[in-house]
Amino acid sequence: MMRSLFAALILLPLMAWAAPEYGTVERDHIRAELVAETAAIEPGQSFRAGLRLEPDENWHTYWINPGDSGLPTQLDWDLPDGVVAGEIEWAWPEALQMGHLVNYGYKDEHLLPVQIDTPDTLEPGDTLTLVVDAAWLVCEEICIPGDAKLALDIDVVAGNGPRASEHADLFADTLGRVPERVEWTTRFNTDGGSLSVQVVPENVGLDRDWSFFAINENLVEHAEAPSVLAEDGQVLISQPLSAYFSRAPEQLDFVLVDHDGARAWRLSAEPGELLSAGMLAEGSTPGWALALILALAGGVLLNLMPCVFPVLSIKAMSLVSGAGHDQRAHGLAYTAGVLVSFAVLAGVLLALRAGGEAVGWGFQLQSAWFVALLVYILFALGLSLSGLFDFGTRLMGIGQGLTEKGGSKGSFFTGVLACVVASPCTAPFMGAALGAAVFMPWPLAMTVFLALGLGLALPMLVLSFSPALARRLPRPGPWMDTFKQAMAFPLYLAVVWLLWVLARQTDPTGLAMVLSGMVALAFVLWLAGRESRSESLVVARHAAVGLSLIFVVSTLFSADHFGGGEGATVENAHWENYSAETLAEWRDDPERAVLVNMTADWCITCLVNERVALNTPAVRDTMAEHDVVYLKGDWTRRDPDITEYLSKYDRNGVPLYVLYPRNGDDPRVLPQVLTPQLVIQALERS
Amino acid sequence: MSYRMMQVLAASLLLALSTALMAAPEVGQPAPDFTLTDTQGNEHSLSDFRGQTVILEWTNHDCPFVIKHYQPGNMQDQQRLARNEHDAVWLSIISSRPGTQGHVSPEEADELTASRDAYPTAVLIDESGDVGRAYDARVTPHMYIIDAEGILRYMGGIDSNPSRNPEDIPDATQYVVVALEQMAAGEEIAEAVTRPYGCSVHY
Repeated sequence: MMRSLFAALILLPLMAWAAPEYGTVERDHIRAELVAETAAIEPGQSFRAGLRLEPDENWHTYWINPGDSGLPTQLDWDLPDGVVAGEIEWAWPEALQMGHLVNYGYKDEHLLPVQIDTPDTLEPGDTLTLVVDAAWLVCEEICIPGDAKLALDIDVVAGNGPRASEHADLFADTLGRVPERVEWTTRFNTDGGSLSVQVVPENVGLDRDWSFFAINENLVEHAEAPSVLAEDGQVLISQPLSAYFSRAPEQLDFVLVDHDGARAWRLSAEPGELLSAGMLAEGSTPGWALALILALAGGVLLNLMPCVFPVLSIKAMSLVSGAGHDQRAHGLAYTAGVLVSFAVLAGVLLALRAGGEAVGWGFQLQSAWFVALLVYILFALGLSLSGLFDFGTRLMGIGQGLTEKGGSKGSFFTGVLACVVASPCTAPFMGAALGAAVFMPWPLAMTVFLALGLGLALPMLVLSFSPALARRLPRPGPWMDTFKQAMAFPLYLAVVWLLWVLARQTDPTGLAMVLSGMVALAFVLWLAGRESRSESLVVARHAAVGLSLIFVVSTLFSADHFGGGEGATVENAHWENYSAETLAEWRDDPERAVLVNMTADWCITCLVNERVALNTPAVRDTMAEHDVVYLKGDWTRRDPDITEYLSKYDRNGVPLYVLYPRNGDDPRVLPQVLTPQLVIQALERS
Repeated sequence: MSYRMMQVLAASLLLALSTALMAAPEVGQPAPDFTLTDTQGNEHSLSDFRGQTVILEWTNHDCPFVIKHYQPGNMQDQQRLARNEHDAVWLSIISSRPGTQGHVSPEEADELTASRDAYPTAVLIDESGDVGRAYDARVTPHMYIIDAEGILRYMGGIDSNPSRNPEDIPDATQYVVVALEQMAAGEEIAEAVTRPYGCSVHY
C-alpha cells in the first residue's frame, strides 16, 4: 500500500506528460470523466464542461471548503488559444460526519461544472479539444489521492443552436444546486466566540428549511452545526468559531440553502455590528435614497417637537413682521446655521465611530454637563417667553433678533440654537434611522445627517422665500404676547424630560446642584432684565449677575462631577445592578444560573434587545421559573468595572450578554442580537 | 419560529455546551499532561521533559498528507533541526484505533522509523485515542509545541500550504521551524494557531 503510494507520488510529475484519456477512467475507489452539456457548439459560443466524479458507495470528495480535513478537487485546464475556462461552480455540499469531525463534500455521482468561453475564430468543422488535469482526494475512513489527465472533443458546427449531450440532465440537475450570487443585506461578526451572520433575504419566504455553509476555511467549528433562525424578516446564523480561528476575515463568503425550495444563494458579508431584529423589522436599513427622504421628513417633523416649536414659531412671527427684502438672507443664514451645526455634530459622531468608539446618535446626551447645558438653555428660553426678560434685546442677540438690528448673524445663530434644542428630540425619535446611517460609508452618512438638518430648516426657509405664504400667517398683534407666554410651557416640559435624563446620569447631589443652578439662572435673568433706578444699584446688580453666572457655570460641571452614582433603581425591575462582587456571590450559589446584561441607554441595539427579548413576559417567566439571577450593568456613563468586564470578553462596547450555568461550567456568550426564543432556550439549558 | 428550528437551536446549544468541556487546549495555557508507552516499551510523561521544548506530531504513515512530508524528507529535516539545533524532544504519536489506517505494532513503527530515516525522540502509541482527544488532535499531521515550562506555544498545521503536492513544500511557511526560531530568539510566535490540514485521525 505504502509503496504504491510512494510510487504514485514519484510518478506524479511524469504523468503530466502522459497522453490524456478520453471517456471514463477508473482510479482507486472512484471513476472520473470530462463531460460537456452540449455535443457540439458554434464558434464563439459559451457552454459548460465539467468533471464528472463517481466515488464508490460511502466514499466522497470535497467541496471548496473541505471542513476539518480533506482537500477540494482541483482542475488545471489545458485549452487551445482563445478558449477560457472559468472557476468551478460548486453545488452546495453535504455535511459529512467523520467521528467528531465534519467535512463538506459529495457522495455518489457528482459534477464540478465550469463555464468555457470560445473565440469567434473557431471554424465550423473544427474539433475543439478540452484537456484538464484533475486532482482529487477521495475518502471513506481513509483517504486516497487521485488524479487524471482527461480529454474531450467537441464538434464545432454552424447554426442550429446547441445540441444537448447525454450528460445534459446531470448538468441541469447540478446547476440547479449551484448557489446564485446575490447582494442581499448581510453582515457578520466574530465577537464572543461565535460567528454571527445576519441576512435579509429578498423575495424568499422565511419559513424555510435553511442551512448554512461558510466558504472561508478555518473560521467555524464545523462539527458544531450552525443554528439558523428566521424571524422578523431576516435569517440569523450562529456557529461557534473554530479552535484554530485566529483573526476575523475581511469578508465572509457563504452559502445559504433553502432545502424546501431546493435553491441556494451565495453571499459575501462585510464585518459589522449586527442590527437588532426590531430595527430591521422597522425597515431602518433603507437604501441611501430612502434614508435621505426619511431624514428630510423627520427633520420637518422636528419643527413640531416641544423643544423646537416654541422657539421657531416665535422666530416665524418675527419673520413675518420683518422687512421684506432681507427675509431671504435671513432664511438662508438660518438654514446655514442649522446645517453647519448638524455637520459638526455628525462629523464628531462619525470620527468617534471610525476611532472604534461604541457611540450612537445621541452620544452628546451621554455627558451630564451637556444635558445640564440644554436644561439651562431651554429653561432660559422658557423664561424669556414667559416674559421674565427679553431674550432678543438683552442677552446674546440670538433668538428672535430679526425685528431688532440682529442681522443675518442673528439668524445664523437661531439656526445653531434650533439644532441644539432639537438634539434631545432627535435622539429618542430618530435614533433608529440615524443609527442605520452610521453604518453607511461616511460621505453617505453625512448626507443623511444634512438631510435631517435641511428638513429642520425647511419650513422657515420656505416662509422666508414665499411672501405669499408668510402673509397667510396670522398678523402680528397683541395676541402674540399671549401666544408667546403659552409657548413657554412646552419648553418647561422639555426641561422636565431633560432633568429626568440627568437624574439617571448623576446622583441627587448633582441633580440638586443643577436645580439650584436653574434658580441662579432665573435670578440672573430677572436681575439683568430690570431697569435700574440708581447708579450704586447698577454696580451691585452687575456684581450679582456676575457671581450668579459663575455659580451657574460651576453647577454645569458639578453635574458631571457628582455623577457615577447608583444608577436608576426601577420599580418592579426583574434585575439587579451588576457589580463584580454580586456576580461572584451568585456564582458561588450552585442553585442559581446568572445572566449578565451589559447595556447603555444610548445603545440602540441594547434597548431593542431588551424590548423585544429580555423584558418580554415569556423571558421574565422563564427566568423566574429557573431561578436565574439577572444582573444588569449600565455603561451609559463610562464605568471602569464594566469596561474591565467587557475586556475580559474581548469587547470594547455593549451589548454583551453572558450566561453562567448553575453547575459552575464556563460561561456562554449569547449573540448580540437576541430573540425571545433564543434567550429562553439558553436559560432552560443553564 | 418553527418547531424544527427550535430543535436545531436546542441541539446546537447542547452541543456547544458539551464540546466546551472537551475543547482544544489553549495556546498560552499549560498543555495537558499524559503518559504513554513508546515502541521500546518505555513510559514517557510530558512532565518528564520539563526544561526542554517538546514537539508533538500526530501521524499516520499511510495518510497522503503525512507521505507528502515524509517522502521528500521535510518531516525528518524538521525532526533533526528540532532535536539537534534546539535541544528539543520530538514525540510522534499514533492515535489510530486498532484495525484502522495508521495503526501499527511497535515493531512496525520502528521499521517505519528506520525505513524513512525518521529521527523522533520516541514514537508513542495511543490506541485508546485519549491523548489525541485531550489535545483535540484532528488530523495527521497535527503539530503542537510545548515550551520548557510546560506551556502550549503552538498548535496547528505542519505548513501553510494545505495540499498533497510535495512540490509546494519549498514555497510554504514551515510553521514549526519558524516557531522554534522565534522561541529561540525570545520573540512572540507570530502564528501560534494555524489551520491543521490532513487526514482525519482514526479514533
